[in-house]
Amino acid sequence: MDLLWQTAVNATYAASYMALIAVGLVMIFGVMGVINFAHGELYMLGAYCVVFLYAQENFPFLLAVAAGLVFVGLVGIVMERTMFRPLRDNPLGGLIASIGFLLILQTLVVFGFGRRMGHVPPSTQGKTEIFGAILTHQRLFVIVAAILLLAALWAFLKRSKFGRALRACAQDAEAASLQGISLNQTARMAMFIGAGLAGVAGALTAPLVSPTPYIGHSIIVTAFIIIIVGGVGSLEGAVIAAVLYAFVHTFVTTFFDGVIANIVGLALMLAVLIVRPTGLFGARERA
Amino acid sequence: MLLEIRDIEVRYQKTVALRGVSMTVPAGGIVTIIGANGAGKTTSLRAISGLEPLTRGEIRFDDARIDGLAPEEIVRRGIAHVPEGRRVFPDLTVEENLHTGAFLRTDRAAVQASLTEVFDHFPRLAERRRQWARSMSGGEQQMLAIGRALMSAPRVLLLDEPSMGLSPVMVQEIARIVADISGRGVPVVLVEQNAEMALRLAQYAYVLETGAVALEGPAADLRENAHVRRAYLGG
Ligand SMILES: Nc1ncnc2c1ncn2[C@@H]1O[C@H](COP(=O)(O)OP(=O)(O)OP(=O)(O)O)[C@@H](O)[C@H]1O
Ligand SMILES: [Mg+2]
Repeated sequence: MDLLWQTAVNATYAASYMALIAVGLVMIFGVMGVINFAHGELYMLGAYCVVFLYAQENFPFLLAVAAGLVFVGLVGIVMERTMFRPLRDNPLGGLIASIGFLLILQTLVVFGFGRRMGHVPPSTQGKTEIFGAILTHQRLFVIVAAILLLAALWAFLKRSKFGRALRACAQDAEAASLQGISLNQTARMAMFIGAGLAGVAGALTAPLVSPTPYIGHSIIVTAFIIIIVGGVGSLEGAVIAAVLYAFVHTFVTTFFDGVIANIVGLALMLAVLIVRPTGLFGARERA
Repeated sequence: MLLEIRDIEVRYQKTVALRGVSMTVPAGGIVTIIGANGAGKTTSLRAISGLEPLTRGEIRFDDARIDGLAPEEIVRRGIAHVPEGRRVFPDLTVEENLHTGAFLRTDRAAVQASLTEVFDHFPRLAERRRQWARSMSGGEQQMLAIGRALMSAPRVLLLDEPSMGLSPVMVQEIARIVADISGRGVPVVLVEQNAEMALRLAQYAYVLETGAVALEGPAADLRENAHVRRAYLGG
């Protein structure tokens, strides 16, 4: 019983940062129609912001996390301007360009920091006991930050004029442009938000995962499974699927092992695709 | 002239959709463009809105060239376009759809006044303001698309086949609305396959055939024209 509860707490942590990553990926796909293969490397880049600013240069952890969000968001804007905009009518081209970009990012990080794991000391030693389960403050911070960021994103999309423009654009880009909404502007916003969320996820989890330049691989695979389960194009679906996946994966890892957990994760995706080919929330309701 | 299209050519890859079309739209009243399937009506409106580039000719609005500008810049100048097939945002509510139409406007009070006006025009939209656009009937979606365009406080309104797929009663309703909009001082360019309705509403008409203006003149004259009667009015 104790182990079950402890595993649930661990899964909550996994769900929170995976949701950030998956929502960012869906955001980019929804507004721009491209599959950003470099999304895992944006996560990695966020983690290395913390390696550099916090672990090496001794800036405060929170500042390094904020820098991870903003810096990776800006990298997203550069990607939009240099790759996705010129390839707007060519989603396959955008995907291929993002694969090229992923290799560039990896190489740059290897040059700057080496191939080996970056060591990031914990920013806090504190822990809290919740009905017998231990939750370190390092992990608690990730959960709280993810909830706050997703709530802010939700409010932005539902309440603000630019959020509404993003949703309109995701539903019908040409009709949006006929309302005076600039597709360049919405694409830039979507890239900043999507990349920034991946970056902040990497920054938040850097002390917990020992980042390497290649950490993006497993992240992107997981993110793809999540958005396919959630229904490509659905932000709500991405959050719910992230929770579902994290719980299944964490429980199977704890009670069996990690390889079996990966297989079960893929099986979950297949099962959803067979029962509901559009994903749990696909097509019915979108961004 | 408020809007002037001079000798424009538009191509889709190899097919030439418009081959040297010229039209003018005065600062008041309704101008209609009629023609068969594939004549180039939609392409004409898309060219005005900056959705299709010209390979020849020019488009002037208020004596300034607008061809080559981005669609959002053309909206900013005061041209609102209700596209073929309505194209409302299915997963925004009715009210959110209307607000997107006012995206470029910054005067909140004026936007609120426009919203009230649109709801006066279309009481049905007011009743359904919190409903998803996807759940509305075809006629209601057409009203929403027109209302959304009006939310930009346009200086000219382009309508692409507003009667498409609607019941005869609904077509009458749309006709009344178009006349009403024009009556309130917003010039309208009405693209229609329903020539009967279009020629009744408009003061001036263009007949497009395979990408060129085959005939033009006051709508009342075209209604009596033998070719128009035979080809577009069913005898
Ligand atoms: N996206 C496109 N790609 C290639 N050809 C196109 C495209 N859109 C239109 N065309 C062609 O351009 C010509 C004009 O089409 P357009 O849509 O302007 O006609 P229309 O008068 O609006 O017809 P309808 O009454 O059926 O709406 C047609 O021959 C059509 O096949
Ligand atoms: Mg058409």
